[in-house]
Amino acid sequence: MRITKDMKMADVIQMNYMLIPVIYRFGINLGFGDKTVTEICGGAEVDLNFFLQMVNTYHDKDYFPKEELQSIPSKDIVAYLKMTHSSYLNEKLSEIEVLIEELQHAEFEDEKYILLIRNFFEGYKNELTEHIMHEEELVFPYVLAVEEICEARSISDRNRKLYESFSIAEYQEGHDDVEEKLMDLKTIMIKYLTPPLNKNLYHKIIQLLFMLEQDLNYHSRIEDKVLVPKMIAMEKIITELN
Amino acid sequence: MNNITIVVAEASFLIQEGLNNILKKLGDNQVIQKMDKGEGLFESLGTLKPNMLILNPDLFDGNADLIKQECGKLKNSKLVLISNAKDIDKKYSADAFIHYYDGQAKILECLETLKSDLLKTQKKEKSDEPISAREKNILKHIALGLTNKEIADTLFISIHTVVTHRKNITQKLGIKSVSGLTVYAILNNLIAMDEVK
Repeated sequence: MRITKDMKMADVIQMNYMLIPVIYRFGINLGFGDKTVTEICGGAEVDLNFFLQMVNTYHDKDYFPKEELQSIPSKDIVAYLKMTHSSYLNEKLSEIEVLIEELQHAEFEDEKYILLIRNFFEGYKNELTEHIMHEEELVFPYVLAVEEICEARSISDRNRKLYESFSIAEYQEGHDDVEEKLMDLKTIMIKYLTPPLNKNLYHKIIQLLFMLEQDLNYHSRIEDKVLVPKMIAMEKIITELN
Repeated sequence: MNNITIVVAEASFLIQEGLNNILKKLGDNQVIQKMDKGEGLFESLGTLKPNMLILNPDLFDGNADLIKQECGKLKNSKLVLISNAKDIDKKYSADAFIHYYDGQAKILECLETLKSDLLKTQKKEKSDEPISAREKNILKHIALGLTNKEIADTLFISIHTVVTHRKNITQKLGIKSVSGLTVYAILNNLIAMDEVK
């Protein structure tokens, strides 16, 4: 079901709890009472159109905003993606890490296997962090420069340098590899590792890994379906400009 | 599981949704891309590498030569054409044809045939078997951090053989990354933990 501006925000969350972290990244807190999406967005000074595009893209994997998408400034999208990144780096990853450490301390017999999981997760964490840094340091500045060029219809020296340093096609190429390790970790824990004594904790970690993966998938859907097409269109305009 | 990847190119939303519905019933598949115009379709197929392309030739104004030429490039994928025209199977070559007025049972049957064909080829890639002694040996070397070239030199086999083994190992175990394979190797005592660099 499509999320619309007249729905109650509480109903939106009842419909899909995965949206809780999403709206939080917009600076919206729970405890909505009977307020509608429009009212909540107004109160939190969130652009309603942008909010609707985002939650619908998260919520329905077949949803693909086309015309609406052109009206959202890339800088808003980038700001949102940055919020998501920081929630991965500062919350999600460390949450799982803490649990793995806890598991390590709780165990005596299989400690070395837990250490394997821990090292593996560390490896994944580093890779994801690197990927995020790459986006923040190279991709996002590029995106902002491209938008600026398109708006001004002319290229400043600084923007020319950024524009020539990268292209969105490069970005698309490397975008699938990050999830590989996360999937491997889940496979190993589900298929190959004998579960340790503290099963509750172990199950919780696996569930968190699934949720992280789902959230990452949602996140990259925004990048692939909203940001990339926008960039491709803008790159075209710039080529014609030259 | 979503074993079969499908690209749907059809201008009519109603037909797209109808197809969606049938594909859900078919199961074991995933529509990785939907398009409602022909523009960019053939360019994206190279990277998407779908197992099946369901295409309405009207998107290319029925240009049989172009479709034949572009779809000929698709290796190991099935081509399904949707059309309103009666003699569509005479005009184009494809693995299957769906006519606008075909009933659900007929369409499902036609897609089931393609699906089982595809799954058979995937099975040939031995996804469910345990890994062989030879593969265990290769896996051990991968886990020790050797490159394909180094493994080939150590075991006196060609790089191509190493790559094939690696592909099979990954498929059988469901583990893609080197660090994941290393963990598997340690868990199964192929190497000791302190051997890992």
